[in-house]
Amino acid sequence: MTRYADMGQVAGDFYTENFAQTAQEGSLILNLGPQHPSTHGVLRVIVELDGEYVLRADPVLGYLHRMHEKMAEVKTAAQFIPNMGRVDYGHALAWNWAFVGAVEKLAGIEVPERAEYVRTITCELNRIASHLLWWGAYLLDLGAFTPIMYAFDDREKILDILQVPTGSRLTYSYFRIGGVAQDLNEDCFSRIKAFIPWMRSRLPMYKDLVSDNIILRKRIEGVGPIEPELCRRYGATGPVARGSGINFDVRRAEPYSVYPKLDFEIPTSPLMDARGRYDVRMIEIEQSLRIIEQCVEMMPEGDTLVKGAPKPSWKVPKGEAYFAVEGGRGKIGVHVVSDGGKNLYRTKLRAPGFSNLSLFAEVSRGTILADAVAILGSLDLIIPEIDR
Amino acid sequence: MPAELIRILIGLVAVALSVGLIGLVMVWVERKVAGHVQRRPGPYEVGPYGLLQPLADALKLVGKQLFMPDNADPILFWLAPVLSFLPVLLLFLPLPLGDGLYTMDINLGLLLILAFSGLAVLSLLLGGWASNNKYGLLGAARAVAQSVAYEIPLLLSVLAVAFVSGSLDLATVVKEQGTWPWNWNIMTQPLAFLIYIVSALGETNRAPFDLPEAESELTAGFHTEYSGMGFGLFFLAEYANMVVVCSVATVLFLGGWHGPVLPGPVWFVLKVSLLMLLLVFFRWTYPRVRFDQLLNINWKWLMPLAVANLMLTAFFVKLAQYAVVK
Amino acid sequence: MNSLDALLKGIPLDYLAACDYAKTGQTWQAFLPAGSLVKAAERLLAADWHLEDIAALDCFEGYVVTYHFAHFDQPGRATLRVVAPHDAPHVPSISAVFDGALWHERETRDFHGVIFDGHPNLIPLLLDPDMAECFPLRKDPKSRVKMREFLEAGEVLYQNPSFTFMTPDAPAVSQESGGTAATA
Repeated sequence: MTRYADMGQVAGDFYTENFAQTAQEGSLILNLGPQHPSTHGVLRVIVELDGEYVLRADPVLGYLHRMHEKMAEVKTAAQFIPNMGRVDYGHALAWNWAFVGAVEKLAGIEVPERAEYVRTITCELNRIASHLLWWGAYLLDLGAFTPIMYAFDDREKILDILQVPTGSRLTYSYFRIGGVAQDLNEDCFSRIKAFIPWMRSRLPMYKDLVSDNIILRKRIEGVGPIEPELCRRYGATGPVARGSGINFDVRRAEPYSVYPKLDFEIPTSPLMDARGRYDVRMIEIEQSLRIIEQCVEMMPEGDTLVKGAPKPSWKVPKGEAYFAVEGGRGKIGVHVVSDGGKNLYRTKLRAPGFSNLSLFAEVSRGTILADAVAILGSLDLIIPEIDR
Repeated sequence: MPAELIRILIGLVAVALSVGLIGLVMVWVERKVAGHVQRRPGPYEVGPYGLLQPLADALKLVGKQLFMPDNADPILFWLAPVLSFLPVLLLFLPLPLGDGLYTMDINLGLLLILAFSGLAVLSLLLGGWASNNKYGLLGAARAVAQSVAYEIPLLLSVLAVAFVSGSLDLATVVKEQGTWPWNWNIMTQPLAFLIYIVSALGETNRAPFDLPEAESELTAGFHTEYSGMGFGLFFLAEYANMVVVCSVATVLFLGGWHGPVLPGPVWFVLKVSLLMLLLVFFRWTYPRVRFDQLLNINWKWLMPLAVANLMLTAFFVKLAQYAVVK
Repeated sequence: MNSLDALLKGIPLDYLAACDYAKTGQTWQAFLPAGSLVKAAERLLAADWHLEDIAALDCFEGYVVTYHFAHFDQPGRATLRVVAPHDAPHVPSISAVFDGALWHERETRDFHGVIFDGHPNLIPLLLDPDMAECFPLRKDPKSRVKMREFLEAGEVLYQNPSFTFMTPDAPAVSQESGGTAATA
């Protein structure tokens, strides 16, 4: 337990002492987390408070660090795919895609058309599930206990749909190098077709009861303004950047798979505050539904795994490749370097949450503690992705 | 022993028993309503419809080990929950459940209630301070600011009713109202009713004004370090406070025990239950208000409105007196 | 046009190449001497590029610290690389230019032990402070590979003659073997 910084003795661990070295007179040093109901995982934020105002905030990472990048160097490429399901449990399929996409790019493997469509449908369903989880948890932070129950009700439907082809409910390792593990069957398609109008019928209710609620609006409007310049300096992407008016989505900027053929909008908000980020994510749910609808219409027949797909012991040819995917939180990047040996030489996982969280220290300066929590929630953090 | 004292003693015993019962019932109602609002069943395993669940919870709380953090002040730490619970018992005494059915015949009943409900904030402060925990401290500081602030519009709205009825005695206030809803004080004092309900939410730390125990920011605020019966007493005191506040609202605005056909006490219980249900619904529907917004609502909106209401009421009451005299 | 060679005009470079975006995901690649790094970062920030990530690659010749930059309004990815020798892995920090580098550089120090000079707070980010000197991603010297084996050579736009790491079959470099000065 730390004492007041001006009392000369600071009892705490390495990070608290390092933080307290530059603390002001008479301020209170408080640890939010690593066990805390609203830091979305095992995140610790050391804050220096003057009453209720945050003078300085410093996130401390590493509580969930499992060294995935080292695991990539001792496993073969195909064996590493389940790791990608665990990096970000919210949007696991996007990480699956980023990794297999990078390896396929390096090796020059072309994925069959049908597999691309299956990948798109499942990835977008996962994105809706991720946004619903964020929405429910964010409102729980702000003190509304009910929306998370409704969000999880919708999520159950998505998880049930995805359970059949992937075999998992949360940490998917469904993609393979050269396609996907299994095709979607008729039952899957009928469930997806039933799900889309169901979800569409829920969104107006969420808007009326929650998004337009005056108490919620007062909590998130004007909170945590992030200028586009800040996004550039920190490399923030995804709804954090789009909520500040930057029209950037990897699906349009670095098109991959069948996205160039699909008709969907990239929502942006000029508001720059937590409200802008909130609106962007809610509209993205609707746009994902549009994408899924179109993909279901346009699905061609064919294989879902390329002929002669690599076996688990396959060696990746020499070279390097970088592949980026639009995840629920932003631009997911995987850079693989291979020397032709049994394992990959280096795999760098670029997590969007890492860059998004790094701007928290600057944005939260001078805000009230309650607003700092609201800002943290609006960044949509999944700590396993940040720590890897 | 004078009859008065015996009457009070009987009343206290009855209140002490019923507060426990009310706590049990309220826990069940809260959890069932929460469940159904959130599209799930709520407790349904323990007893029929989960009716024995609160009993199981109470037994669990009573059976827990009572421990205290290392550097906490032992006297204040254990005094806080006791202090939160005991004054509440006194608050039930002047409330008229039926015609002549009140424990204490005191012509300043309203003042008694308002005075003793102010003690609640002291227990919050003690609990947060004595825990030797920064979260507790922040929670206690918030609780004090909130309670002190919301007492004022509460008082002013209640005073307006006292003007209309001409007395601070609760039995008299109820007598002045009639049997039917259009004879109740809510018709003459609708604004006061609204201000009272909002201030009551602020006083009892119920959502959307439950910042002192803001679970997601301060990990339970002033009662972070309490478990077992200490927590149980805080919990019970919160529900008992809710009942008191709803009862006072019923007495002042909703005609107390008046009502057609059914006997007085039944109507009283019905009206109080309705208001309690309303408060429970509020908790599970709305997000939490931020602390500075909470104080803003009070100082910038509730208090001026309450003062304006009081002035207007005083004006009309005086006018009516002159008209009668003439 | 926001191309890397136009942006880095006037800064001493070691190597600059246009790469095959479809094959490796990068549009340009540049190797910089340590002294040019901060200036190059400033030029990129002024042209509205954003920092994607910083990572190190343990090769035969040294730690290749790789900086990926992308742009919100135009397609393409620019890769800057700085080679830091194994025995003295010091690289200037760009955290004064791109604040996002504060955390990326801490992570690179954790994994490879590269010291970023000028970083205000180079303490462990992901690893425990007790394990700060562990450097898990450093390779066994026997298994280090020469960078030309797997890094994309691309279409060379400029090459400093004394920079031979990327040239295939490079003989031992002799300093007096001509070549123009570094500045273009």
